[in-house]
Amino acid sequence: MNIRHVVSGSLAIVTALLAATSLAQAQAGYPNKAIKLVVPYNPGGSSDLTTRFIADMAKDILGQPVVVENRPGAGGTIGIGSVASSAPDGYTFSQITASPIIVRPHVANVPYDPRKDLTFLGRYMVTHAPFAVKADSPFKTIQDALSFAKSNPGKLRWAVGAPQGGPHLATEAMLRAAGAQATLVPVNGGAEALLALMGGSIEAVVVDDYARPLRDGEIRLLAESGPVKVKGAPNVPTYRELGYPLSPTIFYGLVGPAGLPSEVVAKWNATLKQIVESDKFRELTDRINATPFYGNSADFTAQVKQDYEQMGKALADLGLAKK
Amino acid sequence: MAGILGGLAHAALPANLLFCFIGVALGTAVGVLPGIGPTATISLLLPITFHMEPASAVIMLGGIYYGAMYGGSITSILIRVPGEASTVITCIDGYEMARRGRAGPALGMAAFSSFIAGLIAVLGMMIVGPVLARAAYHFGPVEIAALVVLGLVMVVMISSASSLRAMAMIALGLLLSTIGQDFVTGEERFTFGIATLTDGLGLAVIAIGLFGVSEILMLAGQREEDRAVIQSPRRLRELLPNREDWSRSGWPILRGSFLGFFLGLLPGAGALVSTFASYVLEKKLARQPERFGRGAIEGLSGPEASNNAAAQSAFVPLLSLGIPPNAVMGVVLGALMIQGIAPGPRLATDHPDIFWGVIASMLFGNIMLVILNVPMVRLFVSLLRVPTRILAPCILLFCAVGAYSINNNMVDVAVAMICGVLGYVLRRTGFDPVPLLIAFVLGGILEKSVRQALLIGYGSPYVFVERPIALSLLVVAVLLLLLPLARQILAVVQPRSQST
Repeated sequence: MNIRHVVSGSLAIVTALLAATSLAQAQAGYPNKAIKLVVPYNPGGSSDLTTRFIADMAKDILGQPVVVENRPGAGGTIGIGSVASSAPDGYTFSQITASPIIVRPHVANVPYDPRKDLTFLGRYMVTHAPFAVKADSPFKTIQDALSFAKSNPGKLRWAVGAPQGGPHLATEAMLRAAGAQATLVPVNGGAEALLALMGGSIEAVVVDDYARPLRDGEIRLLAESGPVKVKGAPNVPTYRELGYPLSPTIFYGLVGPAGLPSEVVAKWNATLKQIVESDKFRELTDRINATPFYGNSADFTAQVKQDYEQMGKALADLGLAKK
Repeated sequence: MAGILGGLAHAALPANLLFCFIGVALGTAVGVLPGIGPTATISLLLPITFHMEPASAVIMLGGIYYGAMYGGSITSILIRVPGEASTVITCIDGYEMARRGRAGPALGMAAFSSFIAGLIAVLGMMIVGPVLARAAYHFGPVEIAALVVLGLVMVVMISSASSLRAMAMIALGLLLSTIGQDFVTGEERFTFGIATLTDGLGLAVIAIGLFGVSEILMLAGQREEDRAVIQSPRRLRELLPNREDWSRSGWPILRGSFLGFFLGLLPGAGALVSTFASYVLEKKLARQPERFGRGAIEGLSGPEASNNAAAQSAFVPLLSLGIPPNAVMGVVLGALMIQGIAPGPRLATDHPDIFWGVIASMLFGNIMLVILNVPMVRLFVSLLRVPTRILAPCILLFCAVGAYSINNNMVDVAVAMICGVLGYVLRRTGFDPVPLLIAFVLGGILEKSVRQALLIGYGSPYVFVERPIALSLLVVAVLLLLLPLARQILAVVQPRSQST
């Protein structure tokens, strides 16, 4: 028996063993190891809270740990980019919101193409980002604010919780459509915007953490930037109802890299549906003033495609898209 | 008063005491590890709090935050790696004390001063907290910009090197802070197409490099026999601060506690600014300012008191306005929201158990921390007995893991190593990296708040002098800058007046 036989014999054994283990894995079914769920934002926000909640429930449904990892940066695009370029084996996913998918690719360089590099697993909720003023503000309606900004160019100072997000651009579009000129004061997040509003440094905000100050009578909502009316505020019109060009849905969902096996997509659709339709999830979304809004992979993909194209066209018309 | 007593009773429930203990013990641990900060730990524990009572959840999460202030000083003192940003100042005199064989008293004093400051902060929160919380509304971008200018002036005074060298380091720090997306236009600056740099350099990454990695390089550059041999005392009495340490530290702790308490109420970098405000104050008030930077215990006890007081008073704006003054409080706000509780002006009346329970729990938390930390001093000091050839590579590994764990990103490790080399070169050429690091932190805030202030003032720079708070802060800054000059003039004038 020469050395060549030994080598080829060993190789045969190794190959057989490998085949056996991969078979065993396939038989065990998906998932058979821990799943990583990336949150492309900082801890503490709605994305982080809801993803951790979903991971906690998915762990019990799937029978495998679901590990949440924060990879913040560049408006969520760094974390999503890391998932887009990972192996489509069903063990790496990212949470997403609307902006890095339908807005940022049009205005900045992002490390993925939302039309090609991602599998949209499912949508789990929508939130609101109303245009609000301080409770003692002289502006009673959105028209009051817009006509003030029209007759006093630059005197209406406003801030937005998520810069370059859908609500921000939709508000810019509204201001332009109304021929109004306002001063955008850049801030880091909704809390800072509200602080500036309460301190009298600015006149208006567009934020998604409006619920507590609204309940305590500190602010007044004038309009909602998204197409869905704010819960419990039927008199507050949406930008769409007012006839302004942009009124994007602020959706939250999960994505994986392109080319995920259909078995994985089906499993996650069922899991996410079960979570979103649970009482516990409804309770959570009530508390952060969001609305559960389940969409399976097919619906979600179609919705994202439509939103992406509409936003691209609107931004190009406004001259805001990247050249 | 009934609220305070109710809070004490609520915090003393066995379950809440247990969660408080878990929080402060975990906090100490993550404070020791650079990179793994309280924000990451608190978010990791969020799912657990889904199943807890709201008050217990916040008691535990709060414990992690101020516990980290205790732990963060340990690595600053022992190996010159700040566990948290607000313990950078502790690296100066704390580490010098350790090098002079006084690691034990340094660690002990860090714990005791944090403890005393913690008690003062709890009392402050109970008595005036809710009233003062509204001050946050009057502290807009204009006032923050003025505070940062004052902070930068103080940095010049902290430095052990000459003013000119300190200013050069401040300029470098400010420049480094401009890396990343432009805050207003979103334009990328100095990113060279590297996605990680879009959000700028991380403070913890730079601190790990400038301090930790550069210290290892300094060690590697020394001959074995030249290395400072650290004497580790064996008797407990030598491990704890002596009577002289206490008499030097009394007032600094009190002053540091007040500074920390008030600055912690403000949004932004209150905790951090308070540490070096305290350092500068003590250096100015000291009879022998030249001792600072050479192991002066006042340079440790004041800032340590202020960071702990600030970590606690940061809860005031969160609980009574619903506005988180920093990232950690943002996560705590999230934990409360999940529980269906939106903190705000009505929290104290709607949920007194939470409002007063959380504040009262800090009383117990601080007692636990001092009991936990003081006996561990002996253990930590004995770490210094590990031979350098084993300890140094471990510290380097510790730094790399810390840098990676911040954003789970390898680019951060590379940045830390580059900063390590930079720190080494700076220190070999007589520059002090402390002003660089502080200017880096303040630079981001300064740029942002100045640009915000100008927009709020419709482009007019007079906005800075029209507001009384901003104006007084700027006046203090100018006076501090002119003070050394005035002294020199006095020194020239005085001998003449004496001779007449």
